[in-house]
Amino acid sequence: MRAHSPKEVAEVDFDSEVMGGPAQIRLTGLDRRLLESGAQAAITEIKRIEQAYSRYRHDSIVSRINAAAGTGKALAVDTECASLLDFAQTLYLQSNGLFDITSGVWRRVWDFRTARLPSTQTLAAIKPLVGWDQVAWDGHHIYLPHAGMELDFGGFGKEYAADCAAAVLIRHGIHAGFVNLAGDIRVLGPRLNGKAWQFGIQHPRRNSGLVANVALSHGALATSGDYERFFELDGKRYCHLLNPRSGMPVQHWQSISVRAPLCIAAGAMCTCGMLMGTAGAQWLRDQGASFLAVDPQGQTAMHEWS
Amino acid sequence: MVWNKNSRNTFTPAKKTPPGVPALAEVAVAVTEPRQAKMAGSVLAAAMLLPAIATPAHAQQAPEHAQLSFKLLEYQDYQPNFERTHVRAPSLALVLPVGERWAIDASAVQDSVSGASPRYHTAISGASKQTEMRRAGDIRVTYYGTRSTWALGGALSNENDYRSRSLSLEHRWSTEDNNRSYRLGAALTRDKIGATGNPTLDEERNTTELSAGITQAWTALDLVQLSLSLRHGTGYFSDPYKFPDVRPRTRQQNMLMLQWNHFFEPTQTTLKTSYRWYGDSFGVRAHTFEGQWVQPMGKRFTLTPSLRLYTQRAASFYVDPVPGSEELPPPLPPPGAWPYISADQRLSGFGAYALALKVEWQVSATLLLDLRMEHYAQRGDWRVGGEGSPGLAPFAARHWMLGFNYRF
Repeated sequence: MRAHSPKEVAEVDFDSEVMGGPAQIRLTGLDRRLLESGAQAAITEIKRIEQAYSRYRHDSIVSRINAAAGTGKALAVDTECASLLDFAQTLYLQSNGLFDITSGVWRRVWDFRTARLPSTQTLAAIKPLVGWDQVAWDGHHIYLPHAGMELDFGGFGKEYAADCAAAVLIRHGIHAGFVNLAGDIRVLGPRLNGKAWQFGIQHPRRNSGLVANVALSHGALATSGDYERFFELDGKRYCHLLNPRSGMPVQHWQSISVRAPLCIAAGAMCTCGMLMGTAGAQWLRDQGASFLAVDPQGQTAMHEWS
Repeated sequence: MVWNKNSRNTFTPAKKTPPGVPALAEVAVAVTEPRQAKMAGSVLAAAMLLPAIATPAHAQQAPEHAQLSFKLLEYQDYQPNFERTHVRAPSLALVLPVGERWAIDASAVQDSVSGASPRYHTAISGASKQTEMRRAGDIRVTYYGTRSTWALGGALSNENDYRSRSLSLEHRWSTEDNNRSYRLGAALTRDKIGATGNPTLDEERNTTELSAGITQAWTALDLVQLSLSLRHGTGYFSDPYKFPDVRPRTRQQNMLMLQWNHFFEPTQTTLKTSYRWYGDSFGVRAHTFEGQWVQPMGKRFTLTPSLRLYTQRAASFYVDPVPGSEELPPPLPPPGAWPYISADQRLSGFGAYALALKVEWQVSATLLLDLRMEHYAQRGDWRVGGEGSPGLAPFAARHWMLGFNYRF
């Protein structure tokens, strides 16, 4: 009898740039070629989602929907886009209108480099262009009633891409590893030795510091914070997360991290938590979310976290 | 090899000539995926509904488990006061995954046909009671790519007076959202035809088939499929056991099929419907409508009643026998007339229905038993939109099939 020669465990790390940020795919398995072809397919899938839904690409469905705003012409969308719009609608209803994929137009009046506050008039001019409740959506066709209205899938696009990339890898038969798109993480399964993957959560005020460590064997982790893009004026911080009703930056939390089975759910919940301010913690508890939030004083609040 | 695969699964006892009508085949269409019921009150539940994440719907996926199936088919047809052919056909099929990306499936069948050969104008005296044996098998190797598959297959079938060999290639691919998939196939078949009692008959027939299909997930609950198949054959198409029987040496067969599957969420039922048009250069035109109602009953049982309606126009050279003279040959055409003639009932004009019921029992996670019964009846005067062939006695058949599928 010949002894079985144990196959060598391969661990590969693919780093690239997609969706305007770093993408890391780390996989382990016994067949390096399978891992490589899986990672390639996962990156192709992420690029597909970027092409389909980025508002920066004029050929994307989102750009076509935006271009048809106010023209009187509703656009038919495919099943995947419809499922994302349904999801956006659910989020809008669940968050009491605070998670709104039409709120991206507020960005036009905020310039985080020059650190200036927009005037009341400019804010008032934008306000009529925001509101999912104005959008005509029947499950197959979508229409934005005012010229200048815009959809933006930025609130969950990256997280969705992480989940889809994971689905592609699972279909390839890869079950150990994770996908990390600029901090939005989806884990396929633990390392081959059964140990969980370790992730650090960025400290919202200290550049190189961590506020917590998280071990994940399955599921996803996403973080939203007021530190990604912001400026300070007269001792007050103005960050990129904008309240869809007022157009003003959210105030309360420094950051919120959520753990959930799917990255898109984790991402949506931490964004909703941030947008809700003080009420966000209770809303997250009601969702049954596992979260860690950093309050204005830098104190952490947790729910089902450890 | 679509055509061949189908004819293997249908209940055509006579194999000397391919049936005038291609077998009334069931083309497998994936059951429309049920969409998960909407749960209120949770962002996570809403995210679970995203199809690209939750259900990789029609992804090309290599089988994860091997499966062994054994099926036993019993077939009996009869005409008034006359039991004709009895067929018993045990078959064995195996699906074997090889690595992550390959699968082999193979099957073997042995038919034993006993009883009368077709009652119409058989030239061999004493052939009214006969037992024949057919052994057939096929093997197919499939490669599963990310969004596509390639399959290469071979099939052979042997009888003492008939031999068939075929080779096929099929490519399937799907769009990135998996909502649409395409299929292209090509097959070559070579048949050698002889005849018991006529050692001088040594004929051949070569057939090329091209087929294409497109499947579209219309909504989350509807699946639509369109398929087209073109088959061109040259060689011997006549029936050596019938006299007179002279058919053209080329035959072009075309088939167009439209299928629609709908899933009813409240009752978890799948309704599968299809329409098929068939036409060939012999002049046969046929329409088939079929409906199947797939109803799960509890966790372990599935009940599938189905109804098929069929009507066909006779081949242009079909000659109707004189009513009441089944044992006499039809009159020969006058000299100088159309050179082709056949009284094969499969080339006649008729209408037919088939009523079937299938019961599936998922005994355990790995074992599935199924039983299917079908009653089939055809008559000349049931033809829709035209005169049928009046000279044929009504014909009926019953078959049942017992299947045993084991996954490991």
